[in-house]
Order: sequence, then structure tokens, then C-alpha cells
Amino acid sequence: MSELFPRKQVMGFVFSLVLTAAALTVYFLDLSFMAAMTVLLATAFVQAGVQLVGFMHVGESEDRTMIYMNIFYGVAIALFTIFGTLLILVWDM
Amino acid sequence: MDYFDRFAIPHPSPAIYASMVAIGLTMIAIVIGLTYFKKWGYLWSEWLTTVDHKRIGIMYLIAALLMLFRGGVDALMMRAQTAVPDNKLLDAQHYNEVFTTHGVVMIIFMAMPFIYALMNFVVPLQIGARDVAFPRLNALSFWLFFMGAMLFNISFVIGGSPDAGWTSYFPLAGNDFSQSVGTNYYMLSIQIAGIGTLISGINFITTIFRMRAPGMKLMKMPMFTWTTLITNAIVVFAFPVLTIALLLGTMDRLFGAHIFSMTNGGMDMLWANLFWVWGHPEVYILILPAFGIYSEVISTFSRRNLYGYKSMVASIVIISFFSFLVWMHHFYTMGQGPLSNSIFSITTMAIAIPTGIKIFNWLLTMRKGKIKFTVPMLYSVGFIPIFTIGGVTGVMLGMASADYQYHNTMFLVAHFHYTIIPGVVFAMLAGLTYWWPKMFGFMLSERIGKWAFWFIAIGTNVAFFPMFFTGLDGQARRMYTYSEATGFGPLNMLSFVGAIGLAIGFALIVYNIYYSVRYASRDIGSDPWDARTLEWATQTPVQSYNFARTPQVDSIEALWDLKRNGKPVFQGEIEKIHMPNSSGMPFIMSCIFFAWGFSLIFSMWIPAIITTIAIFACMAHRSFEKDDGHYISVEEIKATEKDWEVLNDENR
Amino acid sequence: MMKIDNSLPLEYANEQNKMNIFGFWIFIGAEVMLFATLFATYFTLEHRVGNGPAGAEIFELTPVLIETLVLLTSSFTIGLAMNAMRLGKKNAMLTFFSITLLLGLVFLGVEIYEFTHYASIGAGLQVSAFTGILLTTLGTHGAHVTVGLFWGLFIIMQVKKHGLTPKTANKSFIFSLYWHFLDIVWIFIFSFIYLKGMM
Repeated sequence: MSELFPRKQVMGFVFSLVLTAAALTVYFLDLSFMAAMTVLLATAFVQAGVQLVGFMHVGESEDRTMIYMNIFYGVAIALFTIFGTLLILVWDM
Repeated sequence: MDYFDRFAIPHPSPAIYASMVAIGLTMIAIVIGLTYFKKWGYLWSEWLTTVDHKRIGIMYLIAALLMLFRGGVDALMMRAQTAVPDNKLLDAQHYNEVFTTHGVVMIIFMAMPFIYALMNFVVPLQIGARDVAFPRLNALSFWLFFMGAMLFNISFVIGGSPDAGWTSYFPLAGNDFSQSVGTNYYMLSIQIAGIGTLISGINFITTIFRMRAPGMKLMKMPMFTWTTLITNAIVVFAFPVLTIALLLGTMDRLFGAHIFSMTNGGMDMLWANLFWVWGHPEVYILILPAFGIYSEVISTFSRRNLYGYKSMVASIVIISFFSFLVWMHHFYTMGQGPLSNSIFSITTMAIAIPTGIKIFNWLLTMRKGKIKFTVPMLYSVGFIPIFTIGGVTGVMLGMASADYQYHNTMFLVAHFHYTIIPGVVFAMLAGLTYWWPKMFGFMLSERIGKWAFWFIAIGTNVAFFPMFFTGLDGQARRMYTYSEATGFGPLNMLSFVGAIGLAIGFALIVYNIYYSVRYASRDIGSDPWDARTLEWATQTPVQSYNFARTPQVDSIEALWDLKRNGKPVFQGEIEKIHMPNSSGMPFIMSCIFFAWGFSLIFSMWIPAIITTIAIFACMAHRSFEKDDGHYISVEEIKATEKDWEVLNDENR
Repeated sequence: MMKIDNSLPLEYANEQNKMNIFGFWIFIGAEVMLFATLFATYFTLEHRVGNGPAGAEIFELTPVLIETLVLLTSSFTIGLAMNAMRLGKKNAMLTFFSITLLLGLVFLGVEIYEFTHYASIGAGLQVSAFTGILLTTLGTHGAHVTVGLFWGLFIIMQVKKHGLTPKTANKSFIFSLYWHFLDIVWIFIFSFIYLKGMM
């Protein structure tokens, strides 16, 4: 039975629940905007990392270098697009 | 009958009725022709259901050439209308529709399929693969593109063409200012074609990463393969942005959302922003394959290996990343502050550097080379000075403060035609002429080809150089007419003359195809240009399985090394070859997509729901389908290879 | 079929399988950009509420928390299904897979409740830029989950019928990538749409 619940995945699940609880502090505590955003950014990206490495086995295939590059490239361009758009249309308007 | 009123043309004119008749007659002619010559079965089994990358490439090519003429006629109409002041050839509405469809057709339905035509045909051969990674998806890509293109093209006889410019800026493109279904056509037909392109992007990246011949490391790939890889990487990250922009535009137009509207908090400028987040990378999607073609052609006809291979690779990789960081330079004048204008000005200047590196690489490749001025080489050599004019004026436009003077004038129109025509059209014509013998087994006439080149090269300059001056004098783009007092008349007339020159050039290309089909020699061997890469190491026409033995590669120019240094490429026993099965599903599914788009365009909800379900039913069918492909037996391969191997040995 | 390499898990066992997995990773890269564009639009329009309600006025923690926990758990169970698949335990794999889809169904039910709730309190699609992009973003994610439910169901049927073969294992593995990815997207929706809107 225990082989059906490998330690790595159970720990990953527990960790993701902890991260969700940590993110909820921004709702229950009266944090400043900057502090709250820092908490959310940290918990969301760590959570994504847990899913990618722990559950999606991103590093197991022989194409791992290309897959990592694909993800990093996509995330980098995604962040540039989001923050560039905000710069153009909100912050610098 | 009220139900059918929605299909009426809002601005009918004799030209549109004439095209209705022409479209009707053409379709009847095709049906009668296919029936008379009993070609329905052939069409279905050999083309509509094929998953062979070579045939898909040729279908892309045919579609691209058709669209080239559709867009070209639009261009001629525009130049004719503005040739003299106060001209009444077209009215304002018709002119709006013509420049809109010219832009969309040329970028999305001509340039894109043209590059995918060459990628499809050449890349698997160049890397020594049997097909692409997902042949079935490849067919789906083509048919989605094709149905998107057809959907866009019926707009001008059913319901009215889009008229808000190829950029379709809101609020003009919103329901308040564009009441016809034209802009719905824009949103949905590009959406359908765009999904096809995205699938192609994934397909080619996987193909190039996983299906290269043994020994062909990344840094040993031919330059066209490199540019294809990077282009498709841009496609994969840029096209989802277009998908979302079009989705949001559709939400606004069909479902009354307020995302790009002027009321209820909507932000019209957001459309411009999203459009160019896709739109600028799209420019590089068009130009990078062109750079790859020039690299192949210049290297082949200079009889030298490509100068600065590594810097070439580095520069395209840098371009791919930078292409996502410059989009705001398309709307410096939209009202944002100096901070963002400065940042994007700097990134825009920076992206000129890697492009400059490539120009020098090509020049240095030609240095001390034994240059043969064939038609592909003429286009490549002509490209360099003409493109440089486009590039330098691009740097002028890239300076935010100066751009306030140039923005939306004919100067801009001149600039982007000076980049796209030499950068894409010349490259496609070079690539077409260069790979034509591989595709069809005979060469295009060099003599007629050279005439066509000179008409096109000179026509380009005569048509677009005057626009730099009228633009600086203040002629705005997209104005359907102007008064005589502006003094724009003579230079616009000159542009019209240039446009006619271009038209003659393209007519000559068609004549060249006709002439060469009839008279060109079929006895050209498999390597008529004495080229350097693997696609020329197959039979002409290429065997369905491309290579009987998987090539072993250890240099960038595998065929050249085989021919000059005797390095063996094809070794080992012939084994049976696994090939994918043909399938009608991509075609059927794309037809359903066509009906789906058409239903949504006219807000016909019940057919829209039915077709949506049908699309998912096709996907479910694919999930359950048993499709293990088939094998080509060793005997069959040996029979196919027999004649060719004899020939091949004689050539060596 | 193609040559089978027995040293690797079934889902990687032949060349076509490897290409399918690799191609799907590239597709996930495209999906990253797809949702990033929605987020860019959402952040731009977040405070442009016109005459409609703002996020803080309409978001409720309870349904959102249920959705989050359900989706997190389903991501865990599909991971367990893949683990069972690699152990060759078909029945355990099918059990975990079914639990995953049931949780997905619960998620979808709560989301449908949420949408009708928004519509009933005057936060429909046509109200403002904010509600428009909010519902489009949530709807795009929800549409992905819906497609996933059907797709997953088809795979379960195929595993039941054919057992664990290189083909069905490959499909299952790719589905698990898709499902985990939808969970990642939801984490970002949870953090930067709901929690940011409610704090």
C-alpha cells in the first residue's frame, strides 16, 4: 500500500497545502500592499515549482535541458509581457 | 427572408458583383473539371487526405501564390485610386476594405503559408528525417490555415469585408463604429488560421529537436533549419497572445463585453498593446526564415561555406528574444510617458545590431567567392541594399521623439514595404526558384526569371521610394484621396507606375511557371544547383519516405562533404520503413471549423453550438482511433531506389 | 509498432512517445503565454469597474477555497495515478485517475455556482471591463478543465479496454502534465485574482 503513496508526492502535497495556508495570510492579516504581494509572489512561484519538479517530473526525460529552456523562456517572456503592459498602460500613462 | 438579410453586402458595387460571378463560375468550373477528368478520387486520396510533409508544403505554396495575387490586386487598386488627386475609382468605404484586406491577406494568408510551404518541404529533408514529428497535426495545421483564409476571402461577397485596417484598432473595430460583420470575419478567420500556425510551431520544434539525422548536432544544422527552429519558437510564444487578443475582441463584438470599448471601464489602447505584443514577434517570424533562405542561397552560389556560422546562430537567438521586447514602438504616440517610450526606443535600436551582423556575414560569404548570378542569387544580392534602406528608416522610426513626425504617414508605409518586400517576398521567390527543381523535377527558366527579378526589384523601388517623400511632406496613410493643392499627385503617380512594374514582374513569374512546365528539361538530376545540404541528396521527385537509409552526418554541409571529400552519408542495410497513414479527418475537422467560424460571424447560435460539438467529436474520434501507420517493405524500397542509385553513382 | 525500449517507463518506451511528451511540453510553453496574456489584460483592467462592482465586493472566500483545495488534491491524485502506472498497478491507477476526474467535476460544479452567483448579483460579462476580463479568464481556465474531464474519461476507457500499453501510458502521462499545469494556472488565479482582490 505504501508504495502507492510515495513519500516525495505526499510531502509535495502537504507542502502545497502549507503554501496555500501561507498565501491566505494576506486575507486574514492586515499586511501592507508590498508585503502582501511579496507573500503571494513567493507562495505562487514556489507552488508552481513544487508542481513542476515534484509532480510533473520535469527533470526526468532526456530532453530536460530543452524543456527547462522552454519553461524559462516562456515564463521570462510572460513576465516581460505582463510588466511591460502594466508599464505602458497603467504606471506610465 | 429577414434572416438572410444579414448576408447582404452593406456597400455593393459593380466590382463586387463581378467578383461574385467570377467566384461562382470558378467553383462551377472546378467541379465540372474534376468530374470530367474523373479526378475526385485522386484529389481526395493524394491531396486532401495526405499527411506527407512534401505534399502539404506544395499545397501551402499553391495557397500562398493564390493569396499573393488576391493581395496584389488589392494593392494595385489602392495605387490606382491614389495615382491622381481627387480620384473617384473607389469610394472611401471600398478603399478602407481594400487596404484592410491587403494587409491581412499579405501577412497572414500569403507570407505565413509561403514560409510554411518552404519549411514543410525542406526542413525534414534537410535534417534527414522521414516526415515531421506529428504528420497528422501537420495536415490539420494546413487545413485550418486554408479554411481560415477561405473564410476571410468570402467576406467581400457575403456580409462585407473588414474595414478597420489590418491592425483593426479599437474603438474603430468595435460594434459602434464597425457595424457590418466585416470585423467578425477578421476576428474568427485569423483565429482559425492562427490555431493552425500554433500547431505547426509545436510540430516543427519537436521535429527539429528529436528527428535530426544521427551526428547532426544543433551546431551542425543547416542555417535554414536553424532559422526555422527559432521562428517556430517565436510562433509558439507569440501566437497565444494573438489568440487571446482575438478572443477578447470576439467577446466584445459578439457577446457585448466591454474590454476594448470606450465605456464601462473598457480600454481601447489595450487592443493596440496586445496586437503588437504578437505583431512585432510576427515581423521576425516572417523575416527569420528569409534570412535562412538567403544564407543557403548565398552560400550555394558563392561556392563558399557560410561565413560566421556561430555569429549567425547567436544573432537569430538574440533576435528571437528581443523581438518580444520592442512591441511598444508601434504606438509611441498613444500617450504614455517618456519612460516607456525611452525603454522601448533603446530595445528597438538594440535589435538592429544582430540584424546588421547578419548582413556583414552574407557580404563576407560572397567575398572571394565564385559567384554565380542565378535567379535565387539575384534576389539575395538585391535584398541586401533594398533591405538596408528599410532597416535604416526603421531606426529613424524607432526614435520615439522623431516618430511623432513620421507616425502614420506614408513614410511608415514605405519603410515596412522596404523591409517586407526584400525581406520576405524576395526571399520567398528566391527559395521558390531554388527549391523548385526539388519539388517538381524541372527548373524554372532563368531568362524569364531574371526579367521578373528586374521588374520586381525596380518596381519595388519606384513604387515605394516616393512614399518616403510624400510621407515626410505629410501624406497620411490610409487616406483614400487628396486634393491637388497638396502636391502629392506626381509622386503618387510614380508609385502607381512602380506598382505596375511589380505586377508585370509577378505576371512574368506566372508565365515562367507555365513556360517551364511546357518546355523545361526534365533531365536535371537530383542536384542541379550543385548544392551543399541534405535535401539535394534524395531523388527528384522525392521518394515518399525521403531517405532509404538514415543519413549519418558530421558537418554543416553534409552533401558537399560527400561530393567533394567523399565522406559517406548513407551507410548500412536498407530496413523496412514505418510511415504514417493518410487521413481525411484534418480536412473534415477544418471544414467544420469553417462552418463554426461562419456561424459565429453571423451570430447564428444554433449552428455555432452544433459545430462546436462536432469539433470536439472529431477530437474524441482521434482519441479512440487506432492509427499505427504502415510499413514500406524492403523490396519496395529497393525497387524505388534502383534506378536512382545507378544514376547517383554516375553523377559522382 | 515502433521499437520498444524496455529500460524506460512505458510512456517513454518508443520514439513517438518521447516526441509526444516533448511536444506537449512545448504546448505548455504556449499555454503559459496564453494565460500570461489574460493576466496582463486582467491586471490592466482590474480597477476599471465602470458602474459595476469591484473584485472585493463580489469575491467570496469559501467557494474559492473549496475550488483551490479540490484542484490541489486532484493534482496530487493524478500524480499518484502516474506513480501507480509506473508500478504497473492498473486498478490503483484507474482508481486514482477516477478520483482526479471526480474532483475536477466538483471544481467545475463550484465554478458554475460561482458564475451564476456573479450573474445574479449584477457582475455579468457585459457589466464592465473588469467583469468581462474576470469571467473570460476564469472561463478560459474552466474550459480547459472541462476539456480535460472529457479527455481523461476517454483515457480511462482506453486503459480499461487495452490495459497499460506504451500508447495508453503515454496518453495518461500527457494528461497528467495537462492536469498539473491547470493546477498551476489556478494557483496564480487564486493568488493574483482572488486573494489580491480581497485583501
